[in-house]
Amino acid sequence: MKKIIVYFLLYIIFCMLQFFFGKYLSVGGVFPNFILILVVYLGLTRGVVSTEIIGFLFGLTWDVFSTDVFGIRAVMFTFVGFLTGMMNKNFDKDRLPAQVVIVLLANLTYWFGFSFIYWVLPAGENGPSPFITAQAVFKILSTAVFAPVVFFILDRLELFARRDA
Amino acid sequence: MRETQKTRYGNIIFAVLLVFGFALIIGRTSPYVSLIKDLVYYIAYPNVASANNIFRFTGRLADNIKAIVFLYQENIAYKQENQALEDKLRNYDVISKEYDNLSKLLNLEKIKNTKSVFVRISAREPSEWYQWLIVDKGENEALKEDFPVVIFNKSKNTLCVLGKIIEVYKSSAKVALITNSSYELPVEIKDKGINCLAEGFNSNFIKITYIPSESGVKPGDEIVVSELSSVFPKGAPVGVIKEVIEDTCVDFKTATAEVYFESNVVYDAVILAPQEEYK
Repeated sequence: MKKIIVYFLLYIIFCMLQFFFGKYLSVGGVFPNFILILVVYLGLTRGVVSTEIIGFLFGLTWDVFSTDVFGIRAVMFTFVGFLTGMMNKNFDKDRLPAQVVIVLLANLTYWFGFSFIYWVLPAGENGPSPFITAQAVFKILSTAVFAPVVFFILDRLELFARRDA
Repeated sequence: MRETQKTRYGNIIFAVLLVFGFALIIGRTSPYVSLIKDLVYYIAYPNVASANNIFRFTGRLADNIKAIVFLYQENIAYKQENQALEDKLRNYDVISKEYDNLSKLLNLEKIKNTKSVFVRISAREPSEWYQWLIVDKGENEALKEDFPVVIFNKSKNTLCVLGKIIEVYKSSAKVALITNSSYELPVEIKDKGINCLAEGFNSNFIKITYIPSESGVKPGDEIVVSELSSVFPKGAPVGVIKEVIEDTCVDFKTATAEVYFESNVVYDAVILAPQEEYK
C-alpha cells in the first residue's frame, strides 16, 4: 500500500513538474524530460515490472495532454522502463558518470524510437515530423545534465522514506 | 528461480503493454481509442478551479524561488559590503588612536566628531513654508541651538544643507531653513575657491552675493559650504547656480541658486551633533 502511495505521489509531482513548470524552466523551448529521468531511476532501483507500468502510465498521461500521435509516448516510456529495468544489475546508479550516460542513452533510445514510429506511420495529419533537430539535441543534453540532480533528490527522498519506515 | 519468474512476469507485462500501446497508435482515429483518450483525459485533467489553483501555485512558487535567488545574491553583496566597511572601521580605529597620540604630543586642537541624530518633521507653518520647521527631538536628545541640520538628497546621494536649530524645547526644536530671508550662510563656488554669501529670500531659491565681478561664475556651478561657516562642515552641498546677474555693483555680482532640498517633500532630516556634547 505504501509503495502505491509513493508511486502515486511521484506521479503527481513529476506530472506537475513536466506539464506545469515547463514555462518557467524552459530556455528557448528546451526543457529537460524529468519523467524520463524518473523512469530511468525507477528502472535502476526497482526493476522491470513496476518501472514499465509506471512508464506506460506516464506516457499515456503525456499523450493525453499532447497533440502528438496518441500512444507513442506510452510505448516509448514502457520500452525505456523495460530496458533500464533489465540493465539495473549492470550499472552502479550511484556514480555520477553512469547516471549521465544511462539517461543519455535512454533519451537517445526514446527520441530515435519516437522518430522511427513517426517515420513508419503513413503521412497525413499525424505524418512524419523532423524530431532529430537541434532543439531535440539540446533537450537530450539538458536531460542528461539534470539527471544527477534528480537522482540525488530521489535518493534523498528514498533515504528519508526508509528512515521514517 | 524466483528471479526467473519475476523476469518472465516482466517480459509478459512488457509485451502486453507494448501491444496495447501499438494498438492505441494504430487505432488512434477509431472511436474506441478516442474513448480511452477521453477517459484518461477526464481522470488525469483537473477541473477548471483546480487547474487554476495549480497554475497560480506554480506561478507563486516560481516567483518565490526567483525572490529567494535575488535575496541570496543581494545578501552576498551586502556581506561583501559589510566586510569592506568592517575593514575600514578597523583601519579607522587604528588611525584614530594614532591621531589622538599625535594631537596630545603636538598639543593640537582635535577635530570634533559628529553624531547623526535622525529626526522627523513634526510641524510646518504654511505661510512660513520656506522659513522654518519643527522637528520631533529636542533637549531630551541633548540637541542645542546652532546644531546644523542636513537632509539626504537621493539624486546626489549625499547629505545637503537644510538649516540650523534656532530654538530648542524638551521634545522638539525649531529649525531655520537656509531659504529663510533672515538666514545668511558663508558659501563658496565649488572647485573655484570663490568665497561668497548665501542669503535666503523665502522661496526655493537663495541669493548668492559678494561674487567678485571678474570671477567666471556661471549657471550650473555648485555652491558648497565655505570654511568660514561655524555651523556646517566645509564642503557640504547647498545648491546650484541658476542665473548670474552682472549689473548690481561694480565690484561684485549676484547670482540666484536653487537649493538641493525640495521644500515640499521634506519629511526627515539629520542633525549633526558634536559627539562630546551629544549624550
